[in-house]
Amino acid sequence: MNAGLCLSDPHPDRAGDGSPIRTLSAAHYAGRYRLVDFMLSNMVNSKIFSIGMILNSHYQSLIGHIGMGKEWGLARKSGGVTFFPPYHADERKGVNNELDGPLQRAAEFLAESNVEYVVVADSSVVCNMDYRPAIDSHRKSGADVTAIYAKKHIISGERESAVVFDISEGGRITGVERASNSSETVNLSLGSYIMSKKTFITLTAGEKICGMLRFSRVLLADALERLTVLSYEFRGYSAHISSVETFFHYNMEMLDIEKQNTLFNFEGRRISTNRRDSLPTKYGKNAQIQNSLVADGCQIEGTLINSIVCRNVRIGAGAVVKNCILQDSTIVEKNASLDCIITDRQVVISENRGLMGYRTYPVYIERARVI
Amino acid sequence: MVIAERKECVAMLLAGGRGSRLKSLTEQIAKPAVTFGGKYKIIDFPLTNCVRSGIDTVGVMTQYQPLLLHDYIGKGQHWDLDLLHGGVSILPPHSKPGSTAWYSGTANAVYQNQNFIDTFAPEYVLILAGDHVYKMDYGIMLEYHKSVNADCTIAVIEVPIKDAHRFGIMNTDENDVITKFEEKPEEPKNNLASMGIYIFNWRELREYLYEDEKNPESTHDFGKDLIPAMLRDDKRMFAYRFNGYWKDVGTEESLWQANMDLLDDLHLGFEDWHILSRTAGRPPHYIAPTGSIKNTLITEGCEIYGSVENSILSVGVIVEEGAIVRDSVIMDNVRICKSAVVDYSILDENTVVAEGAQAGESRTDGGSLNVYPRHTIIEANKFMRRKDK
Repeated sequence: MNAGLCLSDPHPDRAGDGSPIRTLSAAHYAGRYRLVDFMLSNMVNSKIFSIGMILNSHYQSLIGHIGMGKEWGLARKSGGVTFFPPYHADERKGVNNELDGPLQRAAEFLAESNVEYVVVADSSVVCNMDYRPAIDSHRKSGADVTAIYAKKHIISGERESAVVFDISEGGRITGVERASNSSETVNLSLGSYIMSKKTFITLTAGEKICGMLRFSRVLLADALERLTVLSYEFRGYSAHISSVETFFHYNMEMLDIEKQNTLFNFEGRRISTNRRDSLPTKYGKNAQIQNSLVADGCQIEGTLINSIVCRNVRIGAGAVVKNCILQDSTIVEKNASLDCIITDRQVVISENRGLMGYRTYPVYIERARVI
Repeated sequence: MVIAERKECVAMLLAGGRGSRLKSLTEQIAKPAVTFGGKYKIIDFPLTNCVRSGIDTVGVMTQYQPLLLHDYIGKGQHWDLDLLHGGVSILPPHSKPGSTAWYSGTANAVYQNQNFIDTFAPEYVLILAGDHVYKMDYGIMLEYHKSVNADCTIAVIEVPIKDAHRFGIMNTDENDVITKFEEKPEEPKNNLASMGIYIFNWRELREYLYEDEKNPESTHDFGKDLIPAMLRDDKRMFAYRFNGYWKDVGTEESLWQANMDLLDDLHLGFEDWHILSRTAGRPPHYIAPTGSIKNTLITEGCEIYGSVENSILSVGVIVEEGAIVRDSVIMDNVRICKSAVVDYSILDENTVVAEGAQAGESRTDGGSLNVYPRHTIIEANKFMRRKDK
């Protein structure tokens, strides 16, 4: 039996009013998905039914979204989803005390199980991947760790968080680097690592911090000489969302229908998400729509161009929405105009208001804000 | 009989009929499994109504082409009906010592499932049909049934008197006591139509079901046999008036019209009482730069490169560049190829309208409704008409 362990990092950016944004794994994607849907679906599609979620901060909506894992077929008698939230190491010392590492508890959890291999996966990466060939390759190669990567260009908002591999001729990873400023293709880590249970326990021994970046840049990088770390290339569509800018960029890539189809229907593997039975979307008699992705439950009377619209959004008559991502239950009232704006859930843009960002600087409006 | 957990009211949903007036649409599936409103099946309406009304035990009696219906209902999880006690149970006809019997009528279907009902020892039984589109709180009807101390309560709706001959019509006194029931009367004396929703006291209903079984003349139908028998015995029969939207979708025309009604009034509701369904879980729909959408309902998985007007598009429909869709109901996974035209039609699942082909005829030019069965391929220069059977 194999197990999966999803890690991600807290959202590094702040909304327009300075408030934190929900953890990256719970960020919206392509109008109806959360980032974590991809790794959960990938694992289930790869027959991995025992999945641990390492939590960091602002994870309320992540837990709410996953629940018992029913939508992924994970509400089961054996396996299923286990959450590992951070604890205070010593309750008596109060809230500012150091956090106890969820990784340690995940390791204990694995140690007691009959798990053979562990897939550590970055749940802020979007891709449609079958892990089984990679696990087979890992088993045959005798490597300690197999790291999955893609040959890609780095986009501007991605430099801070990109993990780039140096790969020798035999496919062995010899270095873990930061992204340089060049526009060349690099070996970009997709944050998915396959290893035996024993290797995982050794690698994470004593580790308190639970982020993905630290896992790649410190734990793995320090082990490159001790352990054999082999590379495994993934050739499908992939996107790593690590900031507001990359959130905007990679969401907008879904307006490319070819990319969308390769992501959602790759080799017949479906991506599952929480379903809420919203009504079909209703377009009014004067609606003007161009190049947009629209989820169910919306009512659209105005103009919508190059945008992604999540569930239950309303766009009033005469309103013009361009290059925007409108999350659940956003209301754009009559004659308002928006360009390069990201609204969090339940934002209201009142009549006649105008707001504008730029492609490399989209403005993020915090949850339930009324403009 | 072992009683699992006592329930005040058990719902019995009649889902075994073919719905032969829907012709090709129900050749391979039962009527309750017909797609409606882009992402629903007709059975979603009574199931959602039950859940919203606090009735958590539903027996679904199936018989005709049940494969898709059984698969769709599953364990009832999509309606929160996967419960430890009660929930949804699928009740197909079955053999027992000495007999192997199909459901010979609506009353016979309930008769054959009395063991199921007895498991919950209910006071009341709610009988539902699986072929109407409406939102109704059965709990209020049950309260009414109790308050008037009725033996049987029948939900009714006012219909235009000119249409009354198509329905089962209740004649009532000033207290809504039913005095006479006429099935499709030639000269209707009233305009209160039966909605096919009945509440009975279970002990009494069971006696009538036994009597009905013994009667060789009976067709074992609630409307034709059982209710007239109760009226003959002067039982307390009450009409319960319903004022909301209610549409019979038993014919191709009424199915088309009920879909179109959604464009004027999206009565499927919002957060408080939206219709629960087993949705496909496909990506949001995509509208290309060449696409144009007017007065239309679209759902997940669709890709629109052409022009769509006054229509309902179900899951995964593709409208290619230059194609035009007007006044139509398009079911799941239909592909309308380049420059094809679809006018005033129902296209059933997986139909393909080939490049440059024409389906249907313009409604504004006085054309009539065309229905294309599932998996039809409509080719160019071969103007297909529906074969009347």
